[in-house]
Amino acid sequence: MTDNKSFRFKIKDNLLEFKINTKIYSLSAVYQAAYLFLDKVYIFLDGDPKKEVVVIMKEKSSFASASAKAMADKKASEDKEPVDLEKIAGEFYNELLNQLLREKVSQTNAKIREYIVSQALYNAVPNEVDELLKEVEEEDWQEDPLGIAKTWEEQNLEGKKSKKGKMSKKGK
Amino acid sequence: MQSIKFNKKIYTLEAVEKAIEEFKNLADFSLKEAGNYIEVKIDKIDKGVKNILPDEFANYVLGLMS
Repeated sequence: MTDNKSFRFKIKDNLLEFKINTKIYSLSAVYQAAYLFLDKVYIFLDGDPKKEVVVIMKEKSSFASASAKAMADKKASEDKEPVDLEKIAGEFYNELLNQLLREKVSQTNAKIREYIVSQALYNAVPNEVDELLKEVEEEDWQEDPLGIAKTWEEQNLEGKKSKKGKMSKKGK
Repeated sequence: MQSIKFNKKIYTLEAVEKAIEEFKNLADFSLKEAGNYIEVKIDKIDKGVKNILPDEFANYVLGLMS
């Protein structure tokens, strides 16, 4: 078993193990960082999220098929394994910091982000006033089926003219 | 038979169950809650993936947690 004091990780049986203080790094940052490394290594988490999370990493290539060539490749990879896993562990620590920063920025910008989104949604949905104005515009306000817009003279003169017209026709 | 113990404080039961649903065609899974852990026993693993399935399964569950 090797114990690196600078990064404080252990390598045993092709497994790399290290602990993360959750008072510094949140559990969600650990999840996000781990997610980015799922294609490179096998990762297993354990421990107490309130104190420290134990990260166990296993190299993927060490599980090649049991053919002779694969075994030879496996032997070769085992020689390099600690170096590769150490490198990945270091990258993991860096990614943790990156995720932590993303969380901080997200928290800082939460209000302005919500404001921008709400404004965008507000402008995208037509409001009631717009709908009423549209209805009014669509209506043909110049029509006057009940004759409300006409004056008394207009209504009565038209009526008399039409009566006179009828009378004169009868007289002839 | 192989088994994996998932810490309940880190992995949710929903994630484990969903992963089992996704992997059920490759092996037989049985789930049991024991204290702070969810124990998944894996049996009759498909020959083609026998060496990698437990670790891939654990990775998949972790992926669902993110």
